[in-house]
Amino acid sequence: MLVMMIWIVFSVLAVAAALSVLVPLTRSGRGQRESGAYDVEVYKAQLGEVDRDLDRGLISEEAAEAARTEIARRLIAADTAEADVGEAKEGGAAARTSSRAGLRFAQILAVIAVPLGAIGLYTSIGSPDLPDQPLVARLEAPVLNRSLPDLVARVEQRLAEEPSDGRGWDVIAPAYMRLGRAADAAAAYAAAIRILGSTVRRETDRGEALVIANNGIVGVDAREAFERAVALDPSAIKPRFFLALALTQENRKEDAVAAWTALLDDAQGGEAWAEAVRVELAKLGVEAPPPVAAAPGPSQDEIAAAAQMNAEDRSEMIRGMVDRLDTRLSEEGGTADEWLRLMRAVAVLGDADRLRDTATRAEEALKSDPAAVAQVKSLARDLGGGS
Amino acid sequence: MIVEIGHFALILAFVLSLIQSVVPIWGALRHDQRLMAVAPPVSAMMFLLVGVSFAALMMAYVTSDFSVLNVVQNSHSAKPDLFKITGVWGNHEGSLLLWVLILVLFGALVAALGRNIPPELKAATLGVQGWVTAAFLLFMLATSNPFIRVTPPPMEGQDLNPILQDIGLAIHPPLLYVGYVGFSITFSFAIAALILGRVDAAWARWVRPWTLLAWLFLTLGIAMGSYWAYYELGWGGYWFWDPVENASFMPWLAGTALLHSAIVMEKRGALKVWTVLLAILTFSLSLLGTFLVRSGVLTSVHAFATDPARGTFILGILVVFIGGSLALYAWRAPLLKQGGLFAPVSREGALVLNNLLLTVSAAAVFVGTLYPLALEAVTGEKISVGPPFFNMTFGPLMIPLLLAMPFGPLLAWKRGDIYAVSQRLYMAFGLTLLATLLVVWFQGPQQILAALGIGVGVWVIAGAVAEILSRARFGHVGVSTGLRRLVGLPSSAWGAAFGHIGIGVVMLGIVAVEAFQVEKVLTIRPNETVTIADYELAFGGLVRRTGPNYIDDVGHFDIFKGGVKVAEADPAKRLYTARRMPTTEAGIVTFGLSQIYVSIGEVHSDGGADIRLYHKPFVTLIWFGCLIMGFGAVLSLFDRRLRVGAPRPARVRAIPAE
Repeated sequence: MLVMMIWIVFSVLAVAAALSVLVPLTRSGRGQRESGAYDVEVYKAQLGEVDRDLDRGLISEEAAEAARTEIARRLIAADTAEADVGEAKEGGAAARTSSRAGLRFAQILAVIAVPLGAIGLYTSIGSPDLPDQPLVARLEAPVLNRSLPDLVARVEQRLAEEPSDGRGWDVIAPAYMRLGRAADAAAAYAAAIRILGSTVRRETDRGEALVIANNGIVGVDAREAFERAVALDPSAIKPRFFLALALTQENRKEDAVAAWTALLDDAQGGEAWAEAVRVELAKLGVEAPPPVAAAPGPSQDEIAAAAQMNAEDRSEMIRGMVDRLDTRLSEEGGTADEWLRLMRAVAVLGDADRLRDTATRAEEALKSDPAAVAQVKSLARDLGGGS
Repeated sequence: MIVEIGHFALILAFVLSLIQSVVPIWGALRHDQRLMAVAPPVSAMMFLLVGVSFAALMMAYVTSDFSVLNVVQNSHSAKPDLFKITGVWGNHEGSLLLWVLILVLFGALVAALGRNIPPELKAATLGVQGWVTAAFLLFMLATSNPFIRVTPPPMEGQDLNPILQDIGLAIHPPLLYVGYVGFSITFSFAIAALILGRVDAAWARWVRPWTLLAWLFLTLGIAMGSYWAYYELGWGGYWFWDPVENASFMPWLAGTALLHSAIVMEKRGALKVWTVLLAILTFSLSLLGTFLVRSGVLTSVHAFATDPARGTFILGILVVFIGGSLALYAWRAPLLKQGGLFAPVSREGALVLNNLLLTVSAAAVFVGTLYPLALEAVTGEKISVGPPFFNMTFGPLMIPLLLAMPFGPLLAWKRGDIYAVSQRLYMAFGLTLLATLLVVWFQGPQQILAALGIGVGVWVIAGAVAEILSRARFGHVGVSTGLRRLVGLPSSAWGAAFGHIGIGVVMLGIVAVEAFQVEKVLTIRPNETVTIADYELAFGGLVRRTGPNYIDDVGHFDIFKGGVKVAEADPAKRLYTARRMPTTEAGIVTFGLSQIYVSIGEVHSDGGADIRLYHKPFVTLIWFGCLIMGFGAVLSLFDRRLRVGAPRPARVRAIPAE
């Protein structure tokens, strides 16, 4: 329907455009004056102007006379030229009629080329079937017809007006996660926690969002979130999983092994995360106890976010993140904290040579700050001892 | 659907412009009445179509239709409505559309208003206008189409460059564009004259309103841009010799020359060939200006290469139009009849001097602007040509121009008497001397240069006043008749006087600011005060405010003079959230003609801030002067007569006859 409409409008425009060319072509040529005749008229008007200037006293009688002489001279020249042209034109009638072919050509151009040219060009670069999509209309469209980003935008707009709507934050946070906007999700969970209070789920999800926003590294605020979740429910699996991951990343090997093992003890058998725990333990060089009972495959519903990633993927991701951080720090420099973070991350990769190299470069970069150098040295010792 | 209608209308306008490029000119050459008659209705139709197209794009901006790529890239739903509208031309594609809209508007106006113009000239002029339109529309459709769609559309746009989110943007580019495009009409008239091989008697009369209109808008546009840079960039400068500014200044200089040579042509039938050349050069510089700014070549020569299609296209258009028109000029100009002889010392001679100085100064600006670009493109070496270059070249060219200015209008046509004119300027000279001495007296001899500069300004103003008064001839006819004569003077005479006075006023403003401005850069903490000139500023601290799409750190200053509070200033440091881009909003307070200017730099954690503080004496004269010039142009526009310059009779008389 809309597409029909649009083509009707296009046709009206095209016809109007064609007519603007065609109508003047079909009108008969009125009596035409030569350009010379215009000049003669101009000079006559100028003579009148000189008289008027004289009347108003703008110029003196002598100047007016001089001006009249000059104009008269031009007038005579123009008159003669016009007469010449007029005589030449006597025999020019043939030339005038022979333009009939040109006229026909112009008419055809108007009727055919204008609409066809425009439509041809339009179909190759236009998008006739795309409707307008003003933002207001998109935000007001019924929920069912709308994509996730549209829904998010609508909730965002509500929250901009009513930032104390905790439920709104609760709804939008997981949506942000699905859109890959982890940092926004973390902020939204924080708002929900501030307004509606802390729960295991909110704290855990916030922590998870922070970890994802932080390229897989469990930072301080994420760890605190998981710790609060564990405080609320000491048996919760997911926060404990991340806390164990944090210990691994910090290279506190013994604590990490203990945490992973404790997690495994709670496994009922067959959980996907248990498999991930075993991989982590294996990386730490510890033989994990065998699964309690081999269930017929993990239940998809229980898959935790961390377990969605296999060990290879995760270390790949960490490696990429480490490389990026490394490049940035070596090119632009960075704070002591950033260097320490890089060292911890390199340690997670288990590459001893690279760790030594990173420590040397960190000391070099931070040499103006003795306290930072001491920190680097001590961390290098700790990490080096662990690996 | 509206967006697509806009797109289709633009394409249709392009197809029509192709017809407009061929049929009327062909008709003009064959003297075929019917083919020529195509031009006016097609001009009107093109205006209608481009208007529809522009309205459609504006609609997309106002409704935040993010299915249009151009809207996504340059708008944001949180942007205030006014800036949604001005955002239409705040970007490359949209500004080209505005350019073309003005172009076809002017074409339609020529078609509708030019009833007295001989049909051949009118048809050929509109045909040439068609070439320009076709070139620009093809450029848009091929490389810079504002109607490209995105599917699926994003939920939010990337916002407009914050520096452009200002009322200045609402006004500045349209003014400049009307100026640039106005010169396209004079260009078309010039090319039409070359094609037809004849310059009609009233050619200059028909071109006059367009030149004036273009010059008026260009003047206002440049002044507006200068003021905008002054309050938005936070450096307190009014002119930076920045390539973007120069790009608009070059056509202004050439256009000013054109304005004056067209007077000679209209009144005396002389300088025809030169005027035609100036018309071509002026529009060529306008084209160059548009493209310098639009191609991104100014930020870096390499930006030009990032979008090779666009860059090559722009280069092609420049080569075809500038090269083509100059070639046509070389070929056809000898056909044009020269006319009107004059002595070197005469009004014509003075205007030739004006043209000489203006075109040479335009050339100086041209070299200063393009040489670094050319050098970088060829050798890769980066140099920067700054204010010193322009002060060394442009300044010395302007001084003789300003000194000679009062003489020109007083000289008689054809042959003048410089001695008699000097006598009529003795009052103006006296005033100049007085002003210079007063400045030296009050400011001390070390300010002799400033004193001379102010003297030049006063000289220009007094000279223009003397010229108007001498036309009234109070001495000969008494006060009451003199006043009546003054009122009865043609409005173009008043226009010229105001134009010249405006230049003098600008000169006064520039000299006063350059010589007497006081600048302080300091760190200030809340409740501290700072003194500048006669004023004390008390800093009340910073407050954070939230705007629709930005966050402001607003500093508050109470301004005291002699212990009495006279004003407040609230300069701000603004962060536009969508692009994370900071801008400064200077706090400007006007006292009479002078201004106090505060801008905030770094903000410290203890509530203090680095500020730049200026006292700028008479700075507003710079922009007032431009307004006065503009007013002069408006007055001249109202003069609809065919003007005749009555020559001084050949016989020398004891008393000057005029």
